[in-house]
Amino acid sequence: MALLQIAEPGQAPKPHQRRLAVGIDLGTTNSLVAALRSGISEPLPDANGQVILPSAVRYHAHRVEVGQSAKDAAAADPLNTIISVKRLMGRGISDVKHLGGQLPYRFTGGESHMPFIETVQGPKSPVEVSADILKVLRQRAEETLGGELVGAVITVPAYFDDAQRQATKDAAKLAGLTVLRLLNEPTAAAVAYGLDQNAEGVVAIYDLGGGTFDISILRLTGGVFEVMATGGDSALGGDDFDHAIATWIIAEAGLSDDLDPAAQRRLMQTACAAKEALTDADSIDVVHGDWQGLLTRAAFDSLIEPMIARSLKACRRAVRDCGLELDEVEAVVMVGGSTRVPRVREAVAELFGRQPLTEIDPDQVVAIGAAIQADTLAGNKRDGGELLLLDVIPLSLGLETMGGLMEKVIPRNTTIPVARAQEFTTYKDGQSAMMIHVLQGERELISDCRSLARFDLRGIPAMVAGAAKIRVTFQVDADGLLSVSARELASGVESSIQVKPSYGLTDGEITRMLKDSFQYASDDMVARALREQQVDAQRLLEAVEGALQADGDRLLDAEERMVIDLQMEELRELMKGNDGPAIELQTKRLSQVTDAFAARRLDSTVKAALAGRNLNEIEE
Amino acid sequence: MGTPCHFALFDLQPGFNLDLDLLATRYRELARSVHPDRFADAPEAEQRVALERSASLNDAYQTLKNAPKRARYLLALKGEVPLEVTVQDPEFLMQQMQWREELEDLQDEADLAGVAVFKRRLKVAQEELNESFAACWDDAAQREQAERLMRRMQFLDKLSYEVRQLEERLDD
Repeated sequence: MALLQIAEPGQAPKPHQRRLAVGIDLGTTNSLVAALRSGISEPLPDANGQVILPSAVRYHAHRVEVGQSAKDAAAADPLNTIISVKRLMGRGISDVKHLGGQLPYRFTGGESHMPFIETVQGPKSPVEVSADILKVLRQRAEETLGGELVGAVITVPAYFDDAQRQATKDAAKLAGLTVLRLLNEPTAAAVAYGLDQNAEGVVAIYDLGGGTFDISILRLTGGVFEVMATGGDSALGGDDFDHAIATWIIAEAGLSDDLDPAAQRRLMQTACAAKEALTDADSIDVVHGDWQGLLTRAAFDSLIEPMIARSLKACRRAVRDCGLELDEVEAVVMVGGSTRVPRVREAVAELFGRQPLTEIDPDQVVAIGAAIQADTLAGNKRDGGELLLLDVIPLSLGLETMGGLMEKVIPRNTTIPVARAQEFTTYKDGQSAMMIHVLQGERELISDCRSLARFDLRGIPAMVAGAAKIRVTFQVDADGLLSVSARELASGVESSIQVKPSYGLTDGEITRMLKDSFQYASDDMVARALREQQVDAQRLLEAVEGALQADGDRLLDAEERMVIDLQMEELRELMKGNDGPAIELQTKRLSQVTDAFAARRLDSTVKAALAGRNLNEIEE
Repeated sequence: MGTPCHFALFDLQPGFNLDLDLLATRYRELARSVHPDRFADAPEAEQRVALERSASLNDAYQTLKNAPKRARYLLALKGEVPLEVTVQDPEFLMQQMQWREELEDLQDEADLAGVAVFKRRLKVAQEELNESFAACWDDAAQREQAERLMRRMQFLDKLSYEVRQLEERLDD
């Protein structure tokens, strides 16, 4: 049994200690935090024994209320109570208008294109609202586990685009969490099921949550989870079932569809309760105000049929993308609260010709899988061998070319990490700059794709049209986040950006929010920063020491070794003091001088893997 | 690593007829050793190297897994990069037009059963091409023919992508 290790603040845990890491499912309707305890991954309960935290945030003038009590206040205080904020993550103001009357909030624009919601506490971006949910989960985890977290794996719908992923990462940053990885929700669920049932073969994960739908097809082979294709709809979920019932009530009761926010919330609550009751009942009496009507399961089924059909279409596409037929899928796993709806289960069973698996609670399975991965990523050894998750990008990435067309650079369902380059040329004599417009989507016209970022490559030397060679390189990391760089090959002029999505927060906004956050009173902020710098420095020192011990003699000559030793000594000296920025700088310097060593070590593990040797044998 | 040859990376002999299961097994072994997840807790320098190595490993795997890409890669290894437009193939041009016309008819008639038959025929044609290529790519005297076959493979690959798109449209 693993002992619970408690690290004093400011003191980095010793390498042999179990490092605390959690998996967080930041859902549209509900959120959870899970951790591996005594070898078992399980959700962590709050003081009342509840594991589910409703994703509802209510702003009061001087405090923030999160969870069930906030959700209960949704009808009484609709403007200051934010629910289903996940639907707004990474969205622009125009997208929000498109979601239209479904949302009772008052929106304002910020410095960026991100919509801010007016509350009694001032304007709040969806990122801040999500951060408030994450803070509660982080606190719960630290209290339950009894120590500071090394980091968290936060799950996102597989179908989230770059902007939505970046927004989620920003929210974690605001909540003071180190993101070990953004993990796709269906992949997390596959981990929970795959390990539980020792599964091998082709598995489909059907994940219908409160606001998003994902389908992923994976191949499981000896601890390797290889995503073959993924698809979905980042605006389809149980919320839409509620809306369908609400629309039905409006029509049946002859209500005006121009309801005030409070009435709208009450109506949605009635609708949601009706949906849940129909999971077990064949028909129910719906009471709304002084109106009463009968809703049968059959009538409900036909209300939601178009939405289910949309999800099934995405399933067929994902299977086609793998080059498989439906009957080649060997198991189907149900994830997400909305898969409790009987008609959903039935339709999925009909499509794949087999009964879907529902053994693990569909509300908890994602967090459970994320916690397993978090534990591995934090550097804790796992019993029964290491896991490997090979995920893909859900949507193609490309560039705008002549005539407003999108040229794909990386097609959807490409395994990440991935780097691809494409060459372009100038089309005018003496052209000195080129605009790079990065897009995501499947359609040919750029107006049908999502615009991720624009930047300029400047300083191209004067040449005749077509003579310049501009290479644009896309790199997608293991979080599914994109960075793009452009280089003119003849002159070497370079320009690169970490893609800051057009719909993301600006750096200035993030800094302001970090400052505003009451958790970061200024003294506290300096102290916290110093502690983080010390922890980072300590971690690097330990890692380099370990690496030197293992491979120093083999891979470094005397001079290289001396340079590294000197920089390490300097960092140890600095750590005795309190000069945070100096520690940070020296950490960076040490990291730089160990760059080449790191590359050599990695390559030697590759060679060893090739030779068929066990990696652990070489390292230890 | 840094080696120019994808085959060596997977410890395989360069050739067109590959044991794809063995390739996949080797890929998973290598991915395990370089994937960024293994380095989530490591210094930034190692994380960066892992990201680059994983990306090039994935690229090498995709190149060898896919028949037309593998064919093109083999020809590039053999010497000059394929000559692009200089190799003529009038005979295949006619066939291309036929395939395309058929596909258009299937779309107009929204004929799903017809699409299934088309897919099977396409697969047979691809397998035949693979065999022909495997027999001649290594022979310097048949270089032009090998290039021609590689280009035919590329066309059929693109066509099968179009069939998938058609299936998607018909699924609406």
